Amino acid sequence: MAESHLLELDDISKYYGNIIALKGVSTSVNAGEVTCVLGDNGAGKSTFIKTLAGVHQQSEGTIRMNGEEVTFDSPRDALDHGIATVYQDLAMVPLMSVWRNFFLGAEPTKGFGPFTWIDKAKAKQIAKDEMAKMGIDIRDTEQPVGTLSGGERQSVAIARAGYFGAKVLILDEPTSALGVKQSGVVLKRIVEARNAGLAVIFITHNPRHAYPVGNRFLILNRGHSMGSFAKHEISIDELTQLMAGGAELQALEHELEAAGTISHDDLTTPD
Amino acid sequence: MSDTTATAAPPSDERLAYRGVFQRLFIRPEIGAMIGAVGIWVFFWAVSIPFGTANGASGILDTASILGIMAVAVSVLMVGGEFDLSSGANTGAMGMLVILLSKEAGEFGGAGLTLWVAVPLSLVVALGIGFFNGWMVERTKLPSFIVTLGTFFVLRGAKLGFSKLIVDQIQVGDIRDAHGYDFWYAIFASEWDRTTHQLEARDAIYTVAVLGGIALIVLALYEMQFERRRDAMKSAGMIEFAIGLGVTVAGIVTLHVTDDIAGNVLGAAIIAVGSLVGLHGYATWRFEPIHDRGSLVLAPDVLRLIGIGVGSLVLAYLAAIIWDSDNADNFFFPFTYQGFRATLMMVFGGAGFTVLAVAANRARRDGHLARSAIGLLMGLLTAVVAFVVRAQSESVKFRAEAFSVLLAIALMIVVWAVLGSLFEERIRTNARADKLGGRLIAGGLVMIAIGMFFKLMFTIQAEIDADIAPAKFSMRNFWFIVFTVVMVWVLGNTRFGSWTFAVGGNKEAARQVGVPAARTKTQLFMLVSGAAWLVGMLLAFRLNTIQANTGNGLEFDYIIAAVVGGTLLTGGYGTALGGAIGALIVAMGTLGIPFARWNSDWRFLFLGVILLLAVVANRSIRTRAESLRR
Amino acid sequence: MRKLRTTVAAIAALSLVAAACGGDDDDDVASDDEPAAADEPAADDEPAADDEPAGEEPAGDDEEPVDTTQGGDLTFHMITHSDDGPFWSVVKRGMDAACEDLGVNCVWAGSNNDPGVQVQLIDTAIAEGVDGIASSLPSPDQLVGPLQGAVEQGIPVITLNSGVNQYQEIGAITHVGQTEFIAGQGAGERFNDLGATKVFCGRQEESNVALEERCDGLADTFNGEVISEFVGLDADQTAQQNTIAAAMQADPDIDGFMGTGPVIAVSGLNAANDLGLDLAGIGGFDITPEIITAIEAGDIAFTVDQQQYVQGYMPILLLYLNVTNLNTVGGGQPILTGPGFVTPENAAEVAALVDAGTR
Repeated sequence: MAESHLLELDDISKYYGNIIALKGVSTSVNAGEVTCVLGDNGAGKSTFIKTLAGVHQQSEGTIRMNGEEVTFDSPRDALDHGIATVYQDLAMVPLMSVWRNFFLGAEPTKGFGPFTWIDKAKAKQIAKDEMAKMGIDIRDTEQPVGTLSGGERQSVAIARAGYFGAKVLILDEPTSALGVKQSGVVLKRIVEARNAGLAVIFITHNPRHAYPVGNRFLILNRGHSMGSFAKHEISIDELTQLMAGGAELQALEHELEAAGTISHDDLTTPD
Repeated sequence: MSDTTATAAPPSDERLAYRGVFQRLFIRPEIGAMIGAVGIWVFFWAVSIPFGTANGASGILDTASILGIMAVAVSVLMVGGEFDLSSGANTGAMGMLVILLSKEAGEFGGAGLTLWVAVPLSLVVALGIGFFNGWMVERTKLPSFIVTLGTFFVLRGAKLGFSKLIVDQIQVGDIRDAHGYDFWYAIFASEWDRTTHQLEARDAIYTVAVLGGIALIVLALYEMQFERRRDAMKSAGMIEFAIGLGVTVAGIVTLHVTDDIAGNVLGAAIIAVGSLVGLHGYATWRFEPIHDRGSLVLAPDVLRLIGIGVGSLVLAYLAAIIWDSDNADNFFFPFTYQGFRATLMMVFGGAGFTVLAVAANRARRDGHLARSAIGLLMGLLTAVVAFVVRAQSESVKFRAEAFSVLLAIALMIVVWAVLGSLFEERIRTNARADKLGGRLIAGGLVMIAIGMFFKLMFTIQAEIDADIAPAKFSMRNFWFIVFTVVMVWVLGNTRFGSWTFAVGGNKEAARQVGVPAARTKTQLFMLVSGAAWLVGMLLAFRLNTIQANTGNGLEFDYIIAAVVGGTLLTGGYGTALGGAIGALIVAMGTLGIPFARWNSDWRFLFLGVILLLAVVANRSIRTRAESLRR
Repeated sequence: MRKLRTTVAAIAALSLVAAACGGDDDDDVASDDEPAAADEPAADDEPAADDEPAGEEPAGDDEEPVDTTQGGDLTFHMITHSDDGPFWSVVKRGMDAACEDLGVNCVWAGSNNDPGVQVQLIDTAIAEGVDGIASSLPSPDQLVGPLQGAVEQGIPVITLNSGVNQYQEIGAITHVGQTEFIAGQGAGERFNDLGATKVFCGRQEESNVALEERCDGLADTFNGEVISEFVGLDADQTAQQNTIAAAMQADPDIDGFMGTGPVIAVSGLNAANDLGLDLAGIGGFDITPEIITAIEAGDIAFTVDQQQYVQGYMPILLLYLNVTNLNTVGGGQPILTGPGFVTPENAAEVAALVDAGTR
């Protein structure tokens, strides 16, 4: 792996006590590229994200940004390094207004000394403009986020990450709860973010969503990496098979170990 | 709804249903409490003679201040998703601490510090207790209910234990003897005696400020209700507005200088014409005239509602004539005849008008004319009620005050109805108009508050001659207002405020985007503790002596006031102002009962009913608001 | 962890069994930490240790053996629900004084409002074969039985403070105390003398029978009208004071205020002052430094004093007379220690006595 990678993961492992959540995962992502992380439920996707987002630290392995080794002590720390995460549960406060959510944790202030207050007019204007850039007309930024549709909320989150100068954008299952049309909208946002020069890590269990937008694919299964491929190295069918094969294996194991059988089609809930 | 607007309006999100002006005002969390506060005030004003006096107001404000400072702080904490059961005991603990610190060194202690040290030192201790609460909650991840319950018992035991150890009493006293007392007394407990402050211009200031404030609010409602002119403003309307305004002022002056019936009627008539002309002028100047008025057809269901509404008003009237107004005897629990009569009249009257308002709202789909017709009917009925009240009442406050207020309301309804059929109602958002409306409302409220301030703080010769009950206002009221204003501002305008909503609404999400959740929550606990310190100081300097049980158990009163004020028990939603209004409601409920000479043994029943009503009302308002926003 | 706890519980249980069976260790019996043992109403059965009078004093939490005179061979136990608060410490001083004056041995045993502990303390006293028992009766259901047992054993019993309705049933010589009703009656007479016509009797607790009785007694002897209402807790003096003020405002006929406690009486005074009212009189119950100061200043007319010092002194004296001289005082009637009144005339002296700890 070359020096030029924006973010590079080398042999990352994470243990919770004696449980192996992630074992020896390596991949990389460059500016202006989308790396898709695919895997079924329990594959270790959540652990993977949380490690990158600074929620917890890896047990083994190194993370390098622009070739320099880094550790993320907290979500704030990861943010300061330019890694923004859009969680599946959206990390939004439903009862709060769009503009407050947009700026939550980094509100623009004015004032002097210890007496600072939020520059509301500026915040509302920026929120409105940034949303307009994404093609969404938020007429009233005082509207609570809880009243937006799922796709709109994802868009707010992505716009927020972009505005705050994220270099790496991690999207956790952004399409899993959405309908066909809304998913399309979100995929479009991903492409736009990529074209704007962001490095995007797109976590999903849907190869059909991943393949059209991805430049690189990392496949996880039960905490292990099934390989990291560039787009030209793998076709969508192979991708699907890799994932499905893992799932069948998993289902078989379950069958042997316990009485019940779990079909991989049923596993639509996230891990 | 006219077709022209639909075509002319720029395309908007069709899923975003437009909310009318009242619906928009109603989604504010504290609005339910505000209406409740006014309702309870009017109710006790009607059934009790001294309730509405300056003396009554001073008692209510005094009780509300001590409760309200804590209720505001607890509201903010609850918005942040936590509880503090130690807050009540903490108030007494801080009052006791400052006395013990400043007491002469005795056998067992009493540090004998000057108050210049003792007061700040006790604040430090208070913040330390708050920090401890926050730290424990964050560190143990236990519910704050449990952690602060522990702190509550610790404080409770410490209060009793230390007071017995040091002074061998269950109270510690005599902060009066401490060094620096005079200065700190002035800060925390000095009083303003109304009877010694005479200002003959008071009533003029009051009248101008309150009427001006009401006028601003009416204009605000119009701004938020009607569609702005799509072409240029029509300046002819402005002239008409100016003329109408002049005529109204002339009418008010007439009312003031005349004393006989004929003069009053003349004045009232001039005011009515002036307001109608003025508001019509204002509307012509700024708003889009209506093109399709619809026809005057009332659907059967609307007619039925009108029937119910009018019937209810008739019942109210029957209640008024069945019982004599001067019968002050006891009727049955807990009412006097007078109180029972007033209650029935208010219940039936309120129900009648509510039903009519619903009818008017329904009639809107049949056209503007139908709705305006019902509006006119409501206005006329209000006027009828006003005259009935006048004819059926003995006391001056009904014959004069209630009568004029009802007539003014009738006038406003009539004007509203007339203009509603002439100008186009807005059916889409207009941020500029709403902003102007919001500012006008704020300005109007400030003016009314100024008017009230003068009315309460000053006396006039006539009152001195009549030897009315004295009323005192103290620094407690001042601190209550200051604290409320500061917290409203902090919650709405600072990062800390925003983060408070965030940690209460979705703590994990807040943490993920970089909000320092643990720090914010700890600061919230310190805020409550700081408020408890302030209340402790207010109590110590007022009472001179603090009981070992002072404040114990009052934490639930704070939570009740916060909930009545519209704060959600589950966090993430609420206001500081709501807590203050909730405290006013609780104080009015507590004192209204003895003011009405009902047996105050019943007061918890009353408070319980208020709490239940408030919770139900808040819930329905909120769900309504949420559904309207979609 | 769990193992450790089990072990501790087992040891505790064992020691209980040992105490219950053998009674070989008096310290264990008297240490009243175990509610399981204390709850047992051991009224009728004779404790095994009866025939073997213990030489040493029981050493419970609140007990302090008082060996006043070496010559005295009489021992009296005063067993109360004392919490060692300001009230009971005065009672104890009364007892100490009596024992010193008479030269008898006295044991002060407080149960801190735990009836189970008090039952056990009584049983211990019986087991020791004391010469007399003075006991309060806060919860008759549990305490009547054990005290009857004492009387059957030939131990003279006097009830004090509470128990005016049960002392005859027990067979006690008499009862020394004050009934709330009689105290209220005394207050009513005071208000008659003050010339009040309508008295507002404010209560600081919602459902305390004693406070109700104070107001009822007031209404019994007072010639005018009495209103009895709960006006707010002592814990919230602001609301308490404003509630009283509201009532006074709404009913101008009210010209007297009685608070059923010292704090509420001061609240009533503050309320009247704020309204600029000149009441015929304000009365209170019990003593705090604050109310004494107000009485000295003439702002409050009186406070009703239980004179609890007498409740400690008198029972010992009566037991002594009974044991040494077979006197039975009272004629079957209770002996009232009150109502005593603290008024502007005697407030200064009472204040000095309060400092001395006997009032």
